[in-house]
Amino acid sequence: MIRLALRNLVQNKTRLLVSVGGVGLALTLVFFFDAVFTGAAGRLTLYIDRSGADVWVSQEGVRTMHMSASSLPASVTGEVAAVPGVEEAIPILYSTDMIQAKDSEHVAYVFGLPRDATFGGPWKIVDGAARAGPGEVIIDHSIAASAGLRVGDRVTVLGQELEIAGLTSGTSSLVNSVAFVTMDDFARARGQNQVISFVLVKVAADESPSGVAARIGQNVDGVTVQTSQQFAHEERKLVKDMSTDIINIMNTAGFLTGLAVVALTIYIATISRRKEYGVLKAMGARNGALYRVVVIQALVSVALGLFTGLGITLLIAALAPRISESLVLTVSLSSLLRVTVVSAVIAGVAAALPASQLARLEPVAIIRRG
Amino acid sequence: MNDRGLHVSHLTKRFGGGDTEVVAIRDVSLDVSPGEIVLIMGPSGSGKTTLLLMLGALLKPTEGAITLDGLELSALSEARLPDIRMRQFGFIFQDFNLLSALNVQDNVAFAAELAGLGRKEAHKKAAQLLTELGLGHRLRFAPEKLSGGEKQRVAIARALINDPALILADEPTANLDSGHGHETMRLLREIASERGHSVVIVSHDQRIKDIADRVLWLEDGRFTDAVSMVIDPVCGMALQVDRAAATLAHSGTTYYFCSRGCSWEFQGSPDEFVRGAVPERVR
Repeated sequence: MIRLALRNLVQNKTRLLVSVGGVGLALTLVFFFDAVFTGAAGRLTLYIDRSGADVWVSQEGVRTMHMSASSLPASVTGEVAAVPGVEEAIPILYSTDMIQAKDSEHVAYVFGLPRDATFGGPWKIVDGAARAGPGEVIIDHSIAASAGLRVGDRVTVLGQELEIAGLTSGTSSLVNSVAFVTMDDFARARGQNQVISFVLVKVAADESPSGVAARIGQNVDGVTVQTSQQFAHEERKLVKDMSTDIINIMNTAGFLTGLAVVALTIYIATISRRKEYGVLKAMGARNGALYRVVVIQALVSVALGLFTGLGITLLIAALAPRISESLVLTVSLSSLLRVTVVSAVIAGVAAALPASQLARLEPVAIIRRG
Repeated sequence: MNDRGLHVSHLTKRFGGGDTEVVAIRDVSLDVSPGEIVLIMGPSGSGKTTLLLMLGALLKPTEGAITLDGLELSALSEARLPDIRMRQFGFIFQDFNLLSALNVQDNVAFAAELAGLGRKEAHKKAAQLLTELGLGHRLRFAPEKLSGGEKQRVAIARALINDPALILADEPTANLDSGHGHETMRLLREIASERGHSVVIVSHDQRIKDIADRVLWLEDGRFTDAVSMVIDPVCGMALQVDRAAATLAHSGTTYYFCSRGCSWEFQGSPDEFVRGAVPERVR
């Protein structure tokens, strides 16, 4: 039956191409949007992942950087630093703002860092200084390039005109970038000297981040303490929750398109061989055997479409950074598993209609006349 | 009664009911011995195909019994019939009905695999059978690359691969030219004589009478006296003398026609038709 199914499938190469191409493009749609959101979510947690902090301390009840605001008294930094197991604690200020460069504006997550901070700053500098000094800012090089700016040029951040001291790489995404200023400049812009956003903690070499986080939670009032992993997880969860609807719409569109293409081609392929299936029944083939032929054809079509969709998406993912560093596509294992399950459902549903046709097919119809 | 062979007893098939009831087969009885070829002829709508379908366990009779090699097919449940069809019957169709996606050898081997034979063994057996039928050089060919005669030989090989007790052929020569038609008839004769298969053929082709052991005339769902049958010299159709639409005398012989059109055509150039077909009694 497998041989017959495969031969049936490859006999009409145009039909196979249309089927595989249609499913491939439909699944590409699903893969692509998933990869874009996964990539964007990865970029959104980039600072958390690359800051060098093991533990994040925020205002009580605040579990994410985005879609929330954390305000802590500056004195909390000292309380955190005094907790056993904490090697170093630094305060940071954080806000979403616009970088105004010449005639363009770019959304940026702006971080204010103490001048002597040993971590929490940019992790990859492609030009200029690694730390912003007073009246200076470090921005992503892609933002600078798009605005025609270089080190030494001036931009407006947090309502202040600052000089570009350095350019970072890998800190921009489709929707925003990251900028670094001194904590003093940030506080001056906000008009608050005694308030910080977060405390970043580096734990001692022989301590675990979760153990120290628990200890800080016990010793410091009015804070929420999470390891960097927990904080990034909450952040990704937030982004995912925000994008679930649109991802579901895209998945549904991809599913329905794929289903329509496979169902139609398998149906036509089955109906066009109706007589041959009738002959097989007359020869003694049972319905179950004929169902297998149809299901195998649907599964193989969808599997080829799945590989095609995955291949196209991986190709786009490989080429995208060459077009724009901000465009990062990430095909995750969960996305692959989800699309594989969707594909299996498409194959099953697509095979159902032709299978029901075969069940009703009378071999008597093959021998005509009377 | 010898258990071997096909035994049909008082077979009746009705379709519908009440005022719309149609009786396709009426109280037909028939015995076909192993190695015997029975040709069933008759006009369109006479019930030939319905009878063939019932003999092949593709259609349940309303009344009567069909027994093949001692097994009463008409009493078997639907669930058991596919296995019986697979192993006890070989079907040969007018349109050959080969699986277009499979090559010649695969087409024949597929029937054996359906019956439970392993792939290697089925292919070996198929190659052997096809070689015996003169198609050893065509094993890897696609059906579409074969001539009509070759396609029918593949269909015959497929019908024979599971060594069935009964071969059922529906107009096996209808789509073949004269040469390939004779080749197919010779093969069917060999199948019966040398392999001992019973063969039932439903056909309009007069040439098949040459290889048939018996010819039966089916009309209105029952076998009638074949002695009263004659052949229309124009269209070749067999017809009952008393039902001829027209008769004409030519050179001292009376010719019978199925329609006035055939008689008019005959009158235009009688010698052309007389040369090819003299009036003939069906055996």
